[in-house]
Amino acid sequence: MQKVIETLLIGLSTGSIYALMSIALVLVWRSTRVVNFAQAGQAMLSTYIGFEIASRSEIFWLGLVFAIAAGALVGAGVDYFFMRVLFKHATSGPAAVVAPVIATLGLLGLIRSIVGLTWGGEFRSIKAPASTDGFTVGDGTIPFSTLDVLIIATVSIILIALALLFQRTNLGLALRASAYAPEIAQLAGIRTARTRTIGWSIAGGVGGVAGMLVTSNNFLSPYSLDLLLVFGFIAAVIGGLESMAGSVIGALVLGIGLTFILNYVGTSLVFIGGFSVLILVLLIKPDGIMAKGKARRA
Amino acid sequence: MESWPRARPAVRKKIALFILLGWVLLIIGDRVDELRVYQGAQMAMYTIALASIVLLTGYSGQVSLGNGAMMAVGGYGAALTLNNLGSPIWFAFLMAVVCAALFGALLGTAAARLSGPYLAGTTLALAVGLPAIANQFKFLGGEPGLLFDVGFPPERFGEEFTQYKWFFWISTFIALIALFMTSNILSSRFGRTWRGIRGHSLAAELCGVHSSRMKILAFTVSSALAGLAGAVLAMNISLVAPGAYALSLSFALVTGAVLAGISSLPGVVFGAFILVAIPEIADALAGRLGDADKLNHYLPGLIVSILLILSVIYAPNGPGENLRKHLRKKPAR
Repeated sequence: MQKVIETLLIGLSTGSIYALMSIALVLVWRSTRVVNFAQAGQAMLSTYIGFEIASRSEIFWLGLVFAIAAGALVGAGVDYFFMRVLFKHATSGPAAVVAPVIATLGLLGLIRSIVGLTWGGEFRSIKAPASTDGFTVGDGTIPFSTLDVLIIATVSIILIALALLFQRTNLGLALRASAYAPEIAQLAGIRTARTRTIGWSIAGGVGGVAGMLVTSNNFLSPYSLDLLLVFGFIAAVIGGLESMAGSVIGALVLGIGLTFILNYVGTSLVFIGGFSVLILVLLIKPDGIMAKGKARRA
Repeated sequence: MESWPRARPAVRKKIALFILLGWVLLIIGDRVDELRVYQGAQMAMYTIALASIVLLTGYSGQVSLGNGAMMAVGGYGAALTLNNLGSPIWFAFLMAVVCAALFGALLGTAAARLSGPYLAGTTLALAVGLPAIANQFKFLGGEPGLLFDVGFPPERFGEEFTQYKWFFWISTFIALIALFMTSNILSSRFGRTWRGIRGHSLAAELCGVHSSRMKILAFTVSSALAGLAGAVLAMNISLVAPGAYALSLSFALVTGAVLAGISSLPGVVFGAFILVAIPEIADALAGRLGDADKLNHYLPGLIVSILLILSVIYAPNGPGENLRKHLRKKPAR
C-alpha cells in the first residue's frame, strides 16, 4: 500500500512537469495551429541560461526567474522574427501545409547546435534547491522528497497564475479570442499578431520552468529535454491539443501511469508505455478527453 | 486498361534511361577513390530515403518526422533475417521492405487517418524513443546493435574489387530499382489520387476517393521505401544500432527532402548529394576554425538546420521551383 501511495506522489510530481510542457504546446497550437517542436529547444536554451545564473549565484530560484525571462524572450523572438516571416512567404504550393511544422523542426536543430557549440555536450546538473532525500515514513524512507513538494507547489502556482490570467484579465480574453476566431477578434479591435506573440512568449516562459524543474533532479544536456517534449506532446494529445485543462489532466494521468510502470515493471518500458498510450488515445478517442463532439479542426 | 499500350513506350524509354544511368554510375565508381565510392553508396541510400519522404509529404501531404525510425525497422528486419536465417542478401533486403511496410501500415492506421500534427508528433515520438525500444528487446542487441555483414564481393569480380565498391554496386542497383518503381507509382493513378488528397481532401472524397485509405497506403509505401533505405544504410556501415538511426538522421532527411523540392522525385538526387556533402563541408570548416570536439559534433547539425530554415522560408517548394519561376517569366496581364 505504501508503495502505491509513494508511486502516486512521485507520479504527481513528474506529471506536473509534463503539464507545463504540454501547456506550452497547447498555447502555441491554439494560437498558431502549429505543434511547436522547437519548444524543447527553447526550453533547453532557457534552462541553460537559468543553469548559468543558478550555478554562478548558487540560488536556484534566481536561475528559475532568469529561465522564465529567457524563455519568454526566446518565445516572442521565435514568433516575431521567424513565424511571421514564414507565414508571409510560405503561402502556396505543395509545401505550404507542412512548412510550419518542418520549420519548427529546423529551429529545434538550430537551437540545439547553438547550445552545443556554446556549452558543449557534457552532462551538467544543477544543485537542487531542496533536499532530494526522501521523507522518513515509519522505519524507512520513501523516494518522495522535499524537492518533489517544491516542484508540485511551483507548478500549482504557475497553473493558478495562468488560469487567473486567462479567465480574469483582458489580456487573457484577447488571447482566447484571437485563438478561437482570429478574424472576429481582429474586427473587435484586438491586435491579433501582437497577441499571438504574447502567447508564444507565455508558452516560452512556461517551457523554461519545465526545463529547470526537470533538470533540478536530473542532468542537463543538449538532448535531455527531447523526452520531455514527447511526453508533453502525448499529454497534450490526451487532452485534445486544444484544452489547457485537458492537457493538465492528461499530463498528470500520464505522469502517474508512467511512474507506476517505472516502479512496478521497469525503466526500459517507460517509453514504450507512453508511446502505447499515445497510439491508444489516437485510435480510441482521437479528439482527446475534453472533446465535446466537435470535429477536429486542421 | 485501354491506355496501357500507349503508356508502354514511355516506360520502355524510362527503363532505357535508368539502365544508361546505372552504367554511367558504374563507370564513375571505377574511376574514383575509396572514400568517394563509400559516399556514392551513402548517396544511393539517401536517395531512397528521400524518395520515401517525397512520396509521403510531397504527394500525399502528410508529414513524418521519424523516417529514421522507419529506416531502423527496415535495418533491424534485414539484420535479423540475415543473421538468424542465413538467407541470401536479396532476401534480407526484401524482408526489410516487408517489415517496414507492415509496421508502417500498423502505425499509419493509428495515425494516418489523423492529420498533420498528430502524425508528425507520433513519428517524432517514435524517433526519439527508438534507442529505448532497441534496448528493451534483447534480440535487437541493445546499444551496440547487430552486425550486418553482406559478405565479400563475389570472386569473379577479381582482386581489385573492394568491399566498398561492392556496397556501392548493391546500393546503386537498389536505388535505381526503387526510384524506377517510385516514379511509376507516382505517375500512376495512385500518385494522382495522393496529389488530389493533398490539394483538397474533401474535393477528392467527393470524387469517390477513399481518402484515409489512400493516406494509409501512402504511409505504407513510404515506410517500405524507408525500410529499404535503412537496410542499405546498415549494409554500408555493416551495423544496425540505435545510434545509426538517431533523431539527427530524421532531421537530415527532412532537410534533404525540402532542399530536393518536396514534391520532385528527380530532386532527391540533389538532396542526397547535399546530405553527403554537408559532413564533408562541416569537417573542412571545423578544421579551419580550430579542431574542437564541440565543433565537430555540432557543426553539421548547425548547417543542416540553417539550410532547412532558409529553404523552408524562402524556397518552400525547393530551390528548383524558384529557379523555374525565375526562368519562366510571368506573362504580362
